[in-house]
Amino acid sequence: MSVVYCHIFRRLISYNPYRKKSTTMPLKRVFFWQPNAGSTVNSQILNEVSQCVESINGVKEGRWKATLTFYKPMLRDQALSAEFPREFIGISLPEQPNKYYFVLRFNKIVLESDSSIQLIMEKLQSYKSRVALNFEGFQYQLGDFQLRVGKVVPSHSENLRGIVMEVEYLPISSLEKSKQIMEEFFDIWQDAISKRSLPGRFIHIEPDFSDYGLADHYTSQHTAVQYTHVTSQLIASVQAVQTGRN
Amino acid sequence: MECVVQGIIETQYVEALEILLQGLCGVNRERLRVHEICLKSGPNLGFVTSEVRLLCDLEQSEPTWTVKHVGGAMRGAGAEQISVLVRSMVESKASKNVLRLFYSLGYKLDHELLRVGFTFHFERAAQMTVTVSSVNKMLKLHATDEAVPVTPGIQMVEVTAPATSENYNEVVASVSSFCEYLAPLLHLSKPGVSTGVVPTAAAAAASLMSDGGGTTL
Repeated sequence: MSVVYCHIFRRLISYNPYRKKSTTMPLKRVFFWQPNAGSTVNSQILNEVSQCVESINGVKEGRWKATLTFYKPMLRDQALSAEFPREFIGISLPEQPNKYYFVLRFNKIVLESDSSIQLIMEKLQSYKSRVALNFEGFQYQLGDFQLRVGKVVPSHSENLRGIVMEVEYLPISSLEKSKQIMEEFFDIWQDAISKRSLPGRFIHIEPDFSDYGLADHYTSQHTAVQYTHVTSQLIASVQAVQTGRN
Repeated sequence: MECVVQGIIETQYVEALEILLQGLCGVNRERLRVHEICLKSGPNLGFVTSEVRLLCDLEQSEPTWTVKHVGGAMRGAGAEQISVLVRSMVESKASKNVLRLFYSLGYKLDHELLRVGFTFHFERAAQMTVTVSSVNKMLKLHATDEAVPVTPGIQMVEVTAPATSENYNEVVASVSSFCEYLAPLLHLSKPGVSTGVVPTAAAAAASLMSDGGGTTL
């Protein structure tokens, strides 16, 4: 790391030595791994990313897992499927074990509910689970930041479909106020990961949270929306690679 | 799963019922103002029609939403012999977008009601809730400020208690036992079994009002 970056980095990770957590929800950005053209994601990249976190003094804390489920409507006439939502997604997050989130991406709706909503959906029999993705890996503490690095795998398979990274900044809940420090951290991260010459990079495309009626104050509903968008971007990325091959 | 009984009482006797319930339950009543929105799946959605209720608690400073699914009643010879309905029931708290979500999923408004009254939540061998409310219909879509009683002069009384497949017999017994204390004022039975008002209600209410519930009915 350059001298300037070293200085910024030390300031970032030691910003609050007592690591005071926001009394409300700390905010996070979810990144996904975008392979370079002609390359694919693999477990070696995942290992390199994890090692990079540890090389900048990330302390491994434990495992994490989120699950994203695609629901499909049960229709008597498949020809009318256009009348129903294209993407109806359910998400469980490790930081909210008693909650479940639904997102309708094209309708820009996000819902937070108790986990029992899944049982209600089963009883209604109008929508059923089609495919589920697990996001799982290790989390690391890095001063005022918490990082989660994880693989994306279908729930009944070990086929690696992608890599995600969560960067959570603990002291602040305001999206606006945290912009600069998150960008500074990511610049440091990019500098560190680029030295490993990996065939790709992490990308964050921030959804327009206001479209979903979400405010500047960060919540788990924001996280659910981010995972929905990251998943669609991952799928698009995988499809682009497959199209390239064909 | 829950155990349920219902009955009706004339509005003029509700105050007496409240006095009785206050004495029996040993807790303070809570005000109730709930907008109940009943949704049904559209014609093409699902191989069978499904229904879900969205309950909006208007008594809170910030309205809160609950999704409720009421399933089929327990069946069989044993179920027919008991005077309490045992049925599956699942609830989930939800954020305020829940109505929009279900409309987007293809659910349609079947009917809506406004329940206004009070509840007692207490423990008496089992956790129980007694709800006394007027059932009101809205003359315009979602216009809760312009609701009118469906049956003027009559209010509904409902006793519910959560249960499991392991303990429902005990819960049924507790509910039945509790209902006996209310018998002079109203008759409680399975939903859908019409019983009407009881002839002793006037005398029982007068007794309760005259000494504030000190009299044993």
